[in-house]
Amino acid sequence: MAQCTVQTATLVGVQAVPVEVQVDVGAGLPTFAIVGLPDLAVQEARERVRSSVRASGFELPNARIVVNLAPGPLRKHGTGFDLPIAIGLLVATGQLPRQLAEEFAAVGELALDGSIRAVPGMLAYALGARSMGLPLLGPAEATSAASQEGIDYRPLAHLSQIRHSIPGRCAQIVQPLRPAIDSEYDFADVVGHDLAKRALLIAAAGGHNALLIGPPGSGKTMLARRLPSILPPLDSEERLQTALVHSVAGIDEGAALSGLRPFRAPHHSASIAGLVGGGSPARPGEASLAHNGVLFLDEMPEFGPAALQALRQPLEDGCITLVRVDGRMVFPARFALIGSANPCPCGFYGDSRRRCSCSESIVDRYRGRIGGPLMDRIDLVVDVARIDPSLLLTPSTGAHSSALREQVLEARDRALARGLGPTACLTGTSLLRACGLDTAARRRLESAARLKSLSGRGVTRLLRVARTAADMEGRDRVGSEHISEMLGYRAKEET
Amino acid sequence: MREIEWPPRTGAFELRLEDPGYPPQLRATASPPKVLRGFGDPESLMQGVAVIGARKATPYGIRCAQLFAGWAGAAGYTVVSGAAVGCDTAAHRAALDAGGRSVAVLGCGADVSYPRDSGPLLARIAASGAVISELEWGYPPAKWTFRARNRIIAGLTKALLVVEAGLGSGTFITADFALDAGREVMVVPGSIFAPECTGSNRLLSQGAIPVSDISEMRAVLENQLGSPTRDSVVEMLARGNDPVLAAVRTNPSRPDDLARELGLDIIEVARRIGALEGEGMITRYRDGRYGAC
Repeated sequence: MAQCTVQTATLVGVQAVPVEVQVDVGAGLPTFAIVGLPDLAVQEARERVRSSVRASGFELPNARIVVNLAPGPLRKHGTGFDLPIAIGLLVATGQLPRQLAEEFAAVGELALDGSIRAVPGMLAYALGARSMGLPLLGPAEATSAASQEGIDYRPLAHLSQIRHSIPGRCAQIVQPLRPAIDSEYDFADVVGHDLAKRALLIAAAGGHNALLIGPPGSGKTMLARRLPSILPPLDSEERLQTALVHSVAGIDEGAALSGLRPFRAPHHSASIAGLVGGGSPARPGEASLAHNGVLFLDEMPEFGPAALQALRQPLEDGCITLVRVDGRMVFPARFALIGSANPCPCGFYGDSRRRCSCSESIVDRYRGRIGGPLMDRIDLVVDVARIDPSLLLTPSTGAHSSALREQVLEARDRALARGLGPTACLTGTSLLRACGLDTAARRRLESAARLKSLSGRGVTRLLRVARTAADMEGRDRVGSEHISEMLGYRAKEET
Repeated sequence: MREIEWPPRTGAFELRLEDPGYPPQLRATASPPKVLRGFGDPESLMQGVAVIGARKATPYGIRCAQLFAGWAGAAGYTVVSGAAVGCDTAAHRAALDAGGRSVAVLGCGADVSYPRDSGPLLARIAASGAVISELEWGYPPAKWTFRARNRIIAGLTKALLVVEAGLGSGTFITADFALDAGREVMVVPGSIFAPECTGSNRLLSQGAIPVSDISEMRAVLENQLGSPTRDSVVEMLARGNDPVLAAVRTNPSRPDDLARELGLDIIEVARRIGALEGEGMITRYRDGRYGAC
């Protein structure tokens, strides 16, 4: 009778939780059983392991094989258990050295021919192995994702590779400081819309939320699509956080690792689970995939009300907590929300050339779809009007994205130099300290807050954007002119 | 260590009844104080508007004091009040914050800081206006001194605004003095259920001028003290030349169009619009244009 234990992990949220694969090869009728709350994908590992072991030139013992996944109460899912099961089996039967089971963790899916394939979340597994203090044996195709700083990753292309030698540590991949920006969309192409550009510039610089309201064809989507071109790159911490979520979701994490801020634009038919995460096993939603980046909701009032309102908590907390029967999962979701909306169902309310066919009550109802609490969390509201045709044909004189991006970077650097954290997360005393309002600014804010009946949250958010505007001018204190400007972007309380 | 101390080292003055610098309107009252002692600028005693209210002020009283004293200060009228907590303090602060000046009449020696932590405020008041008393230097506060002090407040000013007063309160008494001296008494109406307002409402039924907004107060002050010397009004006139305000008033427009038509930078336009909107001069229409309220 022979036994062997291999370390691996299963995903809970974006975290890899350690799991032990215990393999027992003993006398009895030749069977192959997997126990320990495996899901269907794990059960199917038996067939894949059987075929791939043979295809790699090893022998499958004609014995009773029991695989136990510990801890027992934790639900295990996914195909990443194939490799650790195979290694455990081969070590237990003496076909591989014990060292391989004792000194490594392993994750990977096996193909019938013995080649090793990546599973979603390789970066999460690699980070999990790092915290276990073990090198990770994994698929070669995931090398670029998993071999990050401080991670000892051993890539394997085929199961037969470990027959004679243990794979060496692969070189760490050095990421560029500044990612290459997709230059397809540039703000210089946009004619007019100066106010909206200004609002998006502030949103990019401070990571603030913005809503563009305007008739169809006025250029809301066109403006929002250009936002990524002025976003600052992710810092090394953010790269890992964002790449982790992408990795778990099975999306190519290369972009995030290279420092590109995510820009997610889900269609308005998205479900709650699609937007904030869910399903079984729970997958991150679009809000989490936009972590440290931008979540763009085109035609915001068309989203399901429940899905839309589910965004309130992450907008405030920066994460989503899902509670399911098999546990509680936290997905990070700190994103800037950029929305677009028509002013009314027909779309032409307030348009200078086409008459709006909606009654006032219908307009009210349409605007109410986004809802007061969500509107309260939006820092910048801009009206985007249709551009006069005569202007459309004149060449734009606006600034190029590259120039705007420099402004954004300067403002970010300034905000970071304050040492109080990102501007979009400042609250209470640290916010007041960061702003350093003078008497004039304070009075302007007080009287305007009264006039516009701003909530406490409204004042906080106003101060944050004002702080960013002052940062863009390189000013240490927020002046009354910044407060004034930002008041114009504040959604007016509808009565 | 306290940064600002009371009394200050310089700026003390004494005015005798027969001195030419003695405020004439106070000299004309039934029992003018023989000597006024104080700190600051004696010139500031020449005319002003009293803004007074109860010490045990409600938030309503405080807000009224801030609103009216703040406007008066900004308009260039000197605000006269006591130095008690509540409405008095709120009135001084609002006037000073608005860039105006104020006069505090104390119920103790002018060099005594009472209430004890009022030193910084008194110093601020004396920096542009004056802090005065009829009592000897160093005289401690007593109940009767405050009643006597009230007649000075009434005598110094040609118009008096009561923001909140209970029946029989010191404020009510001051208003009585003012009526005796033939001053204009303005009163902010209060709730009929609030004991803090029974006195002020009684004054109204006795013929005081009700004041429920700035324009009503302004009419009385212009009549009694002359036109405002500087301020909101001056600023408003200046704003008549504000191209943004003028453009928006004649034709409601969007910021983008305004910037293009006026040849101004969008940031400049956005800031002017925000400032004007924050002051309630213009408003944002539902369709995104800005226009007159």
